[in-house]
Formats: sequence, C-alpha cells, structure tokens
Amino acid sequence: MYKVILIDDEPLARQMIRSLLGPYKQIEIVAECGDGFQGFKAIQEHNPDLIFLDIQMPRLNGFEMLELIENPPAVIFTTAFDEYALKAFEAHAIDYLLKPIIKDRFEKSMQKWLHQATVKEHPQVTALVENNIYEGYQHRIVVKDNGLIRIIPAQDIHYIEANDDYIKIVTKDGSYLKKNTLAHIETTLDPQHFVRVHRSYLIPVTQLLRIEPYEKESHIALLHCGAKILVSKSGMAKLKSILGW
Amino acid sequence: MIKKNIHWLITLLAVGVLAVHIFILRGVMLFDWEIAIQDSCISTTLLCLSVWSIVLLIRAYPTTAAIFVYSLFIAALTGFVTTFIEIEALKEWVVKDHTLYKTWLTRTIPVRFIIILIFNGWMATTAALRKNLTGLETRFQQQADASVLLKEAELFKLRQQLQPHFLYNSLNSISALMMISPDKAQDMLGKLSDFLRSSVKRESEDTLPIKDELNYIQSYLDIESVRFGDRLQVLFELEDANAASLPPFLLQPILENAIKFGLYGKTGAVDIIIHIVLESNMLVITITNPYDPDMQPPRGTGFGLEGINRRLFLLYARTDLLETQKNDQYFTTILKIPQLHVQSNTDRR
Repeated sequence: MYKVILIDDEPLARQMIRSLLGPYKQIEIVAECGDGFQGFKAIQEHNPDLIFLDIQMPRLNGFEMLELIENPPAVIFTTAFDEYALKAFEAHAIDYLLKPIIKDRFEKSMQKWLHQATVKEHPQVTALVENNIYEGYQHRIVVKDNGLIRIIPAQDIHYIEANDDYIKIVTKDGSYLKKNTLAHIETTLDPQHFVRVHRSYLIPVTQLLRIEPYEKESHIALLHCGAKILVSKSGMAKLKSILGW
Repeated sequence: MIKKNIHWLITLLAVGVLAVHIFILRGVMLFDWEIAIQDSCISTTLLCLSVWSIVLLIRAYPTTAAIFVYSLFIAALTGFVTTFIEIEALKEWVVKDHTLYKTWLTRTIPVRFIIILIFNGWMATTAALRKNLTGLETRFQQQADASVLLKEAELFKLRQQLQPHFLYNSLNSISALMMISPDKAQDMLGKLSDFLRSSVKRESEDTLPIKDELNYIQSYLDIESVRFGDRLQVLFELEDANAASLPPFLLQPILENAIKFGLYGKTGAVDIIIHIVLESNMLVITITNPYDPDMQPPRGTGFGLEGINRRLFLLYARTDLLETQKNDQYFTTILKIPQLHVQSNTDRR
C-alpha cells in the first residue's frame, strides 16, 4: 500500500485527483491539505510515498514547503505554470501535470511513478527547488525553527553568514540555521539590496552604518545591529558600485 | 504664420536694399538718375538671384552632415560668381563713356563683393539652420510616433498578463466538476464563457461605464467563488457613481490581487469590501481585504499592482492614482480615476 497526500488550495482540484486515483487500489490517500503549512505537517506525520503538489498556495507555496523537508517524497506537481517554468521541471526529470488535468496524462504519470516505486528510484526534487523557477526575487526566507516554520521577511534580516553546509540568518529576533549555500541564497535575493561583501557574508545595504579600513586591502563594516562584518576587496568594489561612491 | 511673413520680409528687404543703393549713388555719389537706377536694379536683382540659388542649393543638399561648412562654401562661391557677373553686366550696359562712373565702379569691386558675401553668408546660415531644424523635427516626430506604438503595445501586454493562470485553473475546476457534478460543470462553463466574451468585447473599448465594469467583475467573482468555495465573500458598496466610467482591465487585476493576498495569506474565510464613490470628478474605488502582516508575499505576486501603476501612468501621465495602506488586519487599495479626462476621451471618439 502506497501512502499519498494531496496538497492544493482549491478543493475541487483535490477532489478531482481523488477521483482519478479511485481505480488505483494499491494507493491510500492519507491526507488532503489546503496550504504549505498543513502540507509540511502532514508529510512529517505520515511520511508518504508520493505527494501531488500545487505550487501557488496560501501562506507557504509548494517550493517553499519542499525546501523545508529533509528527504522529500516523490512529487507530482499539479500546476497552471507556463512553458518557461516547465523546462526546469523537464531538466530534472520531475513529473508534472498541467492544469486542466487530463485523464490520459494523469495515468501516464501514475504508470511512470509506479514503475519508479517498484525499482526504488526516484528523481531528486531538491535539485529543482534550488533552481529559481519564479522570475523576480524573494522577499522572504522560510526556515525551520525547532520543528516550527518561520517566515523571515527580507527587511528583518541583519546579515547572513556561511556556516559549512548551512547558512546562519541573523535577524532582530535571533538567528536561524538553514541547509543552503550562501551562493544560492544570494541569487534568490534582490542584488540591489543584498550584497555579498565577503566569501562568508551577505548583508543588506540598509544595515550598513559605517565602513572602516582593516588590515591590508580588507575593510570592516559596522552594521546597525552592532555586528562587525569583514569586507573583502571585491566585496568593497560591489558595495561601491551599488551605493554609487 | 511665420512662413507667410518671411516672404513679405524678404521682398521688403530687397526693396530696402534697392532704395539704399539708389540713395548712395544719387544722393551721396551724385551720379545722374539713369545710372543710379540702372546700377541699383542690376545689383539688387543679381543679389536676389544669388540668394535664391543659395537657398535652392542648400535645400538640395541631401543630408544635414557638415551642412554649415557646405553652406559657407556655397555662399563664398556664389559671392564670387555674382560679383563677377555684376561687374561685367554693369560694364556692358551702364558704363558706356562715363569715365567717372567707370573708375568708381572699379574701386568699389571689393566693397560690392563684401556686401554680397555678407548677404549670402547670412542667407546660407539661415537656410542651413532651417534645414537642420526640419531634420530634427522629423526625427522628433518619428520618435513620438514610435513611443505611441510602444505605449499601445505595452498596454496590450499589460492587459494580457492577467489571463492565462486564471483561465487554466478555471478549466481545471470545470474538468473536476465534470466528474463530480456535470450540472455544476455546465454552469461554471457558462460563467467562464460570459467572462471571456465580455473580455473580448472590452478589448476594443477605451473606457466603460462603471455598471458594465461591475457586471464583468461579478462574472469574474462567480468563477472565483466556484474555485475557492465558501471562503470568498465580496461586498459591494456603491454610492451614486452610476455616471462614472473607467478604463477596462484596471479593477479586475486589483481585485485579483486582493483575493490572492486574502486567500493566500490566510486559510479561513476572506471578506473583501469594494467601496465605490464619485467625488468631484474623481471616481474613487477602495478595496479592502484581510491579510496577515506577518506573511510576506512570496515572489511572483507583485506584478498586479506594478502593472496597474504603469497603465495608469500611460493613460493619465500621473503616478498618484493608486495607493495602498495596511494595518495589522486589513490591506486597502485605493484606485482613483479622473472623470474629466475619461469624459474628453469619449468625446474625441
């Protein structure tokens, strides 16, 4: 018996997949969720084999939800996305169903997944999540904090520090760890606002209070929150070009 | 106006030159009338011809590149030719056996040449300047035309932006209803067709009466409420604004944004209030939706309001027509549509 969770904000869309799954006796729908938060909780609780996931959803969207899950289950995306985004899906061999969902296409997806499930291989969805599928920049970062989901608005960030495989996001309410790289998070945030001043530091320009010379060619940036951040030579050049010095 | 006057001015100038010439010959040099008039007429006519040929030559010049160098060269050349012809003509017809006039004529060659050169130079630079100016004007006109085209294309694109997602999701709902409840599917299909039909019709309109717009909004909301079930409640408050009109496709994306903000920010029921009032030639539409201030909008939701702002700027050349306010429970969008402008727009058509 395979466990399946349906995550979509439109009740009708969930009902449709439920009906389409009717003939598959080896499948049990263990939960239906209307947003990413509920989806996250349900996945933690049930540890499903497969999820049907909508992307645009209330509170936490599909990608943000996946970012938070350490070993995500197999995913079939259900989306009204455009062609541009679909290329990213294809590139990572991730299955997707375009809305409106057609029965034939649905069955093909199910056959494919059932085959993959029997030979126990499924494509890694994390690679897709790391691709920036949306156009434009993030205005928030989603982190896990003692099992709770926390959404950090970009303007609350004091600075971000690289920490091995993790990044440490320092905010006015404390600091949070997230499994990610500084290079990746840098590409998702607005480059006019966030500057990589050093191999290990990303800072918002609005936090900048003062810059003082340090040894040789490096500088020290003083932030409003009181932190002192090392600024490399190339970081200094980036700051200069953004601030127009 | 100026162009007409300039012809008179040139004629007047020619007559003036003629008069001064006669005065100098008769009044100052004391030649007899015959010589004075003959010399003056020939000189002035030749001067006019020379100036005219300069204007023609400069107009025929194909580009505006180095036009001033070219005109000065033309001016000098025609100056030489004119002076030469003038002296020869005067010798031929006026001099005869008048020795005093003959010596005077020979002595005044440099002066005559300089006078002709001054006139030619002046005329040449003026003509060059005018040619340059018309060149600039054409370029300016071309640029204005291009920007109008660009503006129309942009408006079209901004209108298009709102459709696809909504359409595909609605089709998916219909597909779902076909399996669950075919009657409801048919109903929804009818609503979607109504919505699309009025979209197509509205595509050609510059402005619409508020009533039409609200009907359109209602058909849009009917579809959204099928998709989101009981979660969506919309309340209209219309205050004596029936005479007002507004450009199409402005209100719907704002509402779409409000619904998205409301529905995607919260999981419970969403009440949206639309308040419409006509205040001294300004249609003011206030849309209030609940939202959770802790929820930052995810990426990809911003286009709605930015697109509206851009369209308002293209339509009214103003940036103060769209405002947003938020407190810890409600997000308010205020859209203002100037009615005078809208009115004159309809008059023009």
